[in-house]
Amino acid sequence: MKTKVLIATDLSENSLKAVDYVAEVICCHDSAHITLLHVIREPSPDIMGDAKDRERYVENTRADTLRAMEEIGGHLAAKGIPEDRIRLKIQVCQRPVGIAELILHEQETGGYGTIVVGRRGISKREAFLFGSVSATVVREARRCAVWVVP
Amino acid sequence: MRESELREKIEQHSRFPLRGKLNVITDTTQFMGIRSDDVLELGGSFYLVKGEEVEGRFGLDGEPKFWVKRAIDLSDGSVKIIKLVFHESFVMQLGIQQIKCFRSPRKESRILEKTRGDPFFMQGFTVPDSVGNIVRVIDRIYGVRYYDYILDLALDHETYFHQHFPVLLRNLLLCFRAIQRLHKMEELHGDIRNDHIIIDRESGIYRWIDFDYTYEWSENPFGVDLFGLGNILLLTLGKGFHNLPDIAACGPSGMETISCLTPSDFSLIFRNRIINLQKLFPYIPDGLNQVMLHFSHGAEVFYEKTEELLGDLEACEAEMACGRDVEDP
Repeated sequence: MKTKVLIATDLSENSLKAVDYVAEVICCHDSAHITLLHVIREPSPDIMGDAKDRERYVENTRADTLRAMEEIGGHLAAKGIPEDRIRLKIQVCQRPVGIAELILHEQETGGYGTIVVGRRGISKREAFLFGSVSATVVREARRCAVWVVP
Repeated sequence: MRESELREKIEQHSRFPLRGKLNVITDTTQFMGIRSDDVLELGGSFYLVKGEEVEGRFGLDGEPKFWVKRAIDLSDGSVKIIKLVFHESFVMQLGIQQIKCFRSPRKESRILEKTRGDPFFMQGFTVPDSVGNIVRVIDRIYGVRYYDYILDLALDHETYFHQHFPVLLRNLLLCFRAIQRLHKMEELHGDIRNDHIIIDRESGIYRWIDFDYTYEWSENPFGVDLFGLGNILLLTLGKGFHNLPDIAACGPSGMETISCLTPSDFSLIFRNRIINLQKLFPYIPDGLNQVMLHFSHGAEVFYEKTEELLGDLEACEAEMACGRDVEDP
């Protein structure tokens, strides 16, 4: 049976720690398939009024993100995970929804058994005002395991 | 409309004839140059400018907002607030937290459209000027700002709590319910403050004003709005805010109160602001105090959605109503 692991990364140092951790745990597992997921949130039209500016922002961010994710994929491969079991996915989000909701949707539609998230280390105050992706994923996830790497 | 007709309308609705040259403006881009007695022509209607609105935050006279004009609609003499396009970004200081904010005419225009006919929101419409600026024409609400209303009530806290608070809470719940409707439409207010509620003199309804702020958020778009609702609730429950230095200034009794406070009794956002008001006013019921503690430094769980806060508050209101029933002979 295939073990599907979804690593949600915001490309921060903490999310890279999560990647390292998964690599160490999973490298000896023959059937593990890993998907690295990154969400690019398109700036709100209320903040960036010009549609062309928004498009340019997303394209530039996508190019930078892809480079960073290829590097992380290479890192996983170097730890012994075959390249054909590593998938990179960049999702562009235009609606005002939380990233946790998109991660959980991907888990459900992709049939992942495990979600891995790093903690950004935000303060309690910031978690209250702006929300916490890892806390929401832990609270809302159903029918899967969640690994939170601090 | 011809100049003579306009002059006639001006005299009719402003009680004074216009002296000097009549200046009709169709392009509002340079709003700093638009002055009293200028006439704005927008979408075929004419508005006589009478001055600028002022920020007037928390009972103080503030800076004039040059992009917000007070005007008379020359078709019927009604007073309008005309908000012209002013894009700015700035850092809002929320206690010790900084938030990057943006002023968005587009957002306010959209919310005006979505809340049309809802008496809990200011009402108005959007009209483009001759170069496409998104101008918002808003009906003036006559009434008192919520912040001023609460602070101007001249009575001790216990009397206030028993006689006024239940009615205030009932009205606030309706007003908070309006924010929930906004959130359900995937919109945020963006600047929920005690002085952004006007108590309508005519209907008594607590009405939200000013929706043009927005901000960057990461996971929960409504967290800042929820913080604002908590702050309004705190002001209402305490009949003002209670900060550590004010209590310390009360002499021995103040120092005794302070000795009972712990770090978890204070606001998560404002370091010196007391959230656990039950320690100051023991007759505040547990349920209501528990709601407030969600906004404290000691909170382990936060409200993430307006309906969560509303659900708890409605339970508190019902409990208080039952308590009153039992007490009443």
